Amino acid sequence: MNVLDISSVTFSYDLPKDKENSGGNQYALKNFSMFVENGKIHALLGPNGAGKTTLMRIITGQLRGYSGSASIYGNKMPDKETLKLIGYAPQPISVYTTLTAKENLRFFGSMAGLQQELIKERANEVLEKTGLSAYSSKPVSTYSGGMLRRLNLAVALLHLPKLLLLDEPTVGVDPQSRNHIYETLAGLNESGVTILLCTHIMEEAQRLCSHVTLVDQGKDIFSGDMKEIDNLEAFFLERTGKGLRDV
Amino acid sequence: MILKQLKELIKKEMLILLRDRQTILLLFIMPVALILFLSLAMEGLWTDKLTGRKIQLVIENESNSFKANLLEEKIKSNEMIKHIVRPQGMNDDKIFADGKAHAVVTIPKGFDEGDNPVEIYFDPVIDAGYKIAARSLLTSLTVEVVMGIENLDAVVAGLVVEKTKPNKEFPTPLQQNVPAYAIFAMFFIAIPMSIGFLKEKKDGTLQRLFTYPVNTNLLILGKIIPYYLINILQFILMLLLGVYVMSHIISFSFNLGEHPWHMVPVTLVVAAATTGFGVLVASLARTPEQSSTLAATGAILMGVFGGIMIPHVLMPLFMKKLAMISPMYWSHQAYLDIILRDAAFGVILPKLIILTLFAGICFYIAGRRVKWI
Repeated sequence: MNVLDISSVTFSYDLPKDKENSGGNQYALKNFSMFVENGKIHALLGPNGAGKTTLMRIITGQLRGYSGSASIYGNKMPDKETLKLIGYAPQPISVYTTLTAKENLRFFGSMAGLQQELIKERANEVLEKTGLSAYSSKPVSTYSGGMLRRLNLAVALLHLPKLLLLDEPTVGVDPQSRNHIYETLAGLNESGVTILLCTHIMEEAQRLCSHVTLVDQGKDIFSGDMKEIDNLEAFFLERTGKGLRDV
Repeated sequence: MILKQLKELIKKEMLILLRDRQTILLLFIMPVALILFLSLAMEGLWTDKLTGRKIQLVIENESNSFKANLLEEKIKSNEMIKHIVRPQGMNDDKIFADGKAHAVVTIPKGFDEGDNPVEIYFDPVIDAGYKIAARSLLTSLTVEVVMGIENLDAVVAGLVVEKTKPNKEFPTPLQQNVPAYAIFAMFFIAIPMSIGFLKEKKDGTLQRLFTYPVNTNLLILGKIIPYYLINILQFILMLLLGVYVMSHIISFSFNLGEHPWHMVPVTLVVAAATTGFGVLVASLARTPEQSSTLAATGAILMGVFGGIMIPHVLMPLFMKKLAMISPMYWSHQAYLDIILRDAAFGVILPKLIILTLFAGICFYIAGRRVKWI
C-alpha cells in the first residue's frame, strides 16, 4: 500500500504580472507524480527551485489550489484528520527561540491534539532520542545549529507520525549531529515510520533511502529503486545537468 | 480540543511577549515615564491657567504702622497668596531669577499718612494675566485697609455676581495624560504584534502551524486575544498608577468621575481598535523593520492629531476638526467624558461606535491583505 500518492499535480504561485510573460517556467510543479510505499525511506532530490518544498507544502496542507491529486493513506490533502498522521520538519528551523525545548514541544503537542500527560511522556522520549534531554529547560536561543536541527526533528516526531516528511534535515550541522540524526531516522524506519527525505546531500540519500524520485523544473524526471544507482551524484548531474540553478 | 489549542496559542504568545524586555519597556515603562514627566511639565501651566496657583510674594513692611501692619496681615492671610520670606542676601532680581517669588510688595514709610503708595515689583517674565490678577488682589486689599472696609468682596457681592459653569472641558494634567498615554501605549501594541507575526512567517513557525489540525480562525484568535488582553492590562495599570501613585507626586487629584464603570466598555472597545490597528500593520508590512516604522509613525501621528500630545482643548479650531480623523481622539474623548464630564453612557456610545467601525475596517482590510504563507 502506498502511504503517499501524488498524481499529476500542477501548482503555480501567483507571479507578478511583469514576470508572467517572461517565457520562464511559472509552474512550481507541473504534472508531477510520485508515490511512497509504506515503511520505506524515500529520497526526493532536485536542484534548487525544482519544486521539492512546494510539494512538501502541498502534502502538508499549507498550499491549496493545486490541480491533480495528493493523497495520504487515500485521503486527499488538505485533510485535517490526516495531518495528525504526518510529522513535518521544514527546512528552516521552525521553533520558537524564546521558548525552551519543553515549552516548544508542549505547544506543538497541543496543536497536534495530544493530551497533556501524553505530551509530557512523548516529550521526554523525543528529547532522549534527539539527545536534548539535558538542555530541555534552556531557551532555544542558546542552542547550537545541530541542537536546533535536532529539536526541529523532535517536534516532528512528538505525535508519533506514521509518515515523516523531512526537508533538508541535516543542513548546517556537524558530522556528529548529522550521524545522530541518521541513526534516529534509521531507528524510526525500523519501527515502521515511512519517511520522505528531501536533501541535497547525495551521500545521505544513498545511505538512508531505498527509493528515489528526481524532480527538476516542477517535473518528475526519475523514480526508482536506489539499488539501481551506483553513483547518485553522477546520476543526479547527468539527469539534471551541470548548469547553475540560481533562483 | 479547540479550547485547549486556543489556550496554548495564547499562552505561547504571552510567553514570547513577556520575555521580550524591549516590548515590556515599550508597552509599560514608556507610558509611565510619559505620564509622569509630561504631567510634571504641564503642572505649572495648568496651575497658572486654571486653578489659580497661589501668588508667591515677598512682603517688605518698612512702615510698621497700624495700617501697614494690618495690610501685611491681610496679604499674608489671603488664601490666594503664599508669603515668602526673603532668603538672606538675595536681591529682588535674584529672587525672580531663582523662581522664589512672583513679586515683591513694599509697604513704605508714610503709607498710613497717604504719602507713599504700596509698591509692587513683579518678576518681569510673569504671565500678563497672572500679573493683572495679582495687582487687582493687592489693590483690593489695600483699598480695604485704607477705606476701613472689612471685606470688599462682600461689599461688591450685590454688584458683581460670578456665574461661571464648573470646568467640564479643561482636564488637569493627570486627567489629560493618564488616559492619553495609556491609549498611546495601547496603540503601540501594533509594533510587537506585527513584528511577532512577520517573524513567525519568516522563521517558518507560522507555516509549520498549518501542518497541524488547527483551524485558521483559531490561529487568528490566538494571535489577537493575547494582545487584546495586554492592552486591557496596560490601561488598568496606568489607571491605578494615576489614581494611587501619580496623584501623590503631582499636585492634582485624579478622580474617576461619577460613572467610573463606563471605563469598562470604553476600554474593551479601545483595545479592539488598537489590536485592529496592529493586525492592519501586520498585514500591510512585509518585513519586521517596515512594520515597526509603520506602527510607530502611525501611532505618533494619531497621537499628534488626536489630542494626546497637545490637549485637544488647546488646539485651534481647524486642528480640533482635524483631530476627528484620529481614533485616539475618540478614545481619549470617551475617557474624558467619563472622568471630566461625568457623561451618561448615551453620550459615550457614538464614540464607541466610531471606534468599533475603525476596528472593523482594520480587521476587514487585514483579512483581505494578509498572506499567511
